[in-house]
Amino acid sequence: MKTNNNLDNISDIRIENLLTPRFTPTSSLSFNAPAPRRRLLWRAVRIGAVAAMVVVAVVIGISGVQTSTAREVVERAMTQLLESDNYLVQFTANVAENKNSGELYDIDFEGTQIRGTVEIHKEDSKVKMAIKWQDKASSMELYDGKSYRRYQNGQLVLERPYGGIDLTKFATIDKLKDYALLTGILLKFREEGDVISVSTRGDKVGIVARFSKSEGRLLGAECSGPYNGQQVTVLTIDQIDFDVPPTE
Amino acid sequence: MKLTTENKQLTRLAELMQSERDHLFRYACYRLGSATEADDVVQDLYLRLSKQGARLAEITDLKGYVYRSLTNSCTSALRSRRQFAPTETLDTLSSDDLAPKDFEQEFRLIERLMALLPDEQGEVIRLRIYGGCQFDEIASICNTPLTTAKSRFRYGIDKLREALEKRGLI
Repeated sequence: MKTNNNLDNISDIRIENLLTPRFTPTSSLSFNAPAPRRRLLWRAVRIGAVAAMVVVAVVIGISGVQTSTAREVVERAMTQLLESDNYLVQFTANVAENKNSGELYDIDFEGTQIRGTVEIHKEDSKVKMAIKWQDKASSMELYDGKSYRRYQNGQLVLERPYGGIDLTKFATIDKLKDYALLTGILLKFREEGDVISVSTRGDKVGIVARFSKSEGRLLGAECSGPYNGQQVTVLTIDQIDFDVPPTE
Repeated sequence: MKLTTENKQLTRLAELMQSERDHLFRYACYRLGSATEADDVVQDLYLRLSKQGARLAEITDLKGYVYRSLTNSCTSALRSRRQFAPTETLDTLSSDDLAPKDFEQEFRLIERLMALLPDEQGEVIRLRIYGGCQFDEIASICNTPLTTAKSRFRYGIDKLREALEKRGLI
């Protein structure tokens, strides 16, 4: 019985040739070591606990969709996101006060349910974002691309440098996947009948957004995660409006 | 100190995944038959491994560990599919099928050929041809002696050759 692994006759070489792929699709994945936890990226992820997740939900939840595949839908949604100047997202979130990072709230499974709005306003290449919370202090967090400011009861209570959110990270699926890899989010696109689901899964929370192809509108988006053996919803996107002027 | 070791291992993991990306992706593609699914599996694998913290830092043969994890991920993905389409046999294979014109045809051909082999022989061939692994690496991934890895490859190729010769296809 032969045990030599060298392929020394023409038939064997032909077999290896048959098995050798010639039409392999290409992958655009790219792998970079995650930045240390305290760097800006991780602060962005922390914001992701409340706001950047909303941004992603905005990306995948744009109305007026008439294309056919999930990838096309998302590509088109991203194009629209970049072309629109203003968004207003109303959400409800389970949050607890954040005592470490300087931002107001973190998503928390046992937290208090608070309603809020995220306003995103683009000026030239800069992106400004405001999170307005319907809490007792009418808290507002502002990200203007250079700094983070927090207002409570109309008073400025905290200010520190912050680099802002770069929406071009979401410009294409490839860029979004790169960003997702860096930030620990996994994107999955699924199509079932008329409903397209785009889901993300990260360390603690994931997003599922569902929208209808035929109606061309967002059906719903929510963020949830495993807690005490159950999948618990921690953030719900109630409404998304585009091209609304920024509020004061 | 411990954190530094973990960070170094994370950097090593990222560099390894980047340098092996095409092989990892190709392996997953020809196991799953779908580029999108292959992307998902490889991406998911990286995320899972990068979150292992101290455990990752203890792994000496990182490449072997990555490939072992990938083979397990692909097996799980195949098992979790709700509907299994039966693999076509070689009985209906024509000489035209031996010259595929796109990825789908190529995958179907390879799937039909690999279906003839016992799992352990198929795995060695996949790791060698799609994963681009050396036999010593395959031996480590499959946890077998080097000679076993080589003979599994040899026997697998022999079996495929005999099957195609029997049908007058080569």
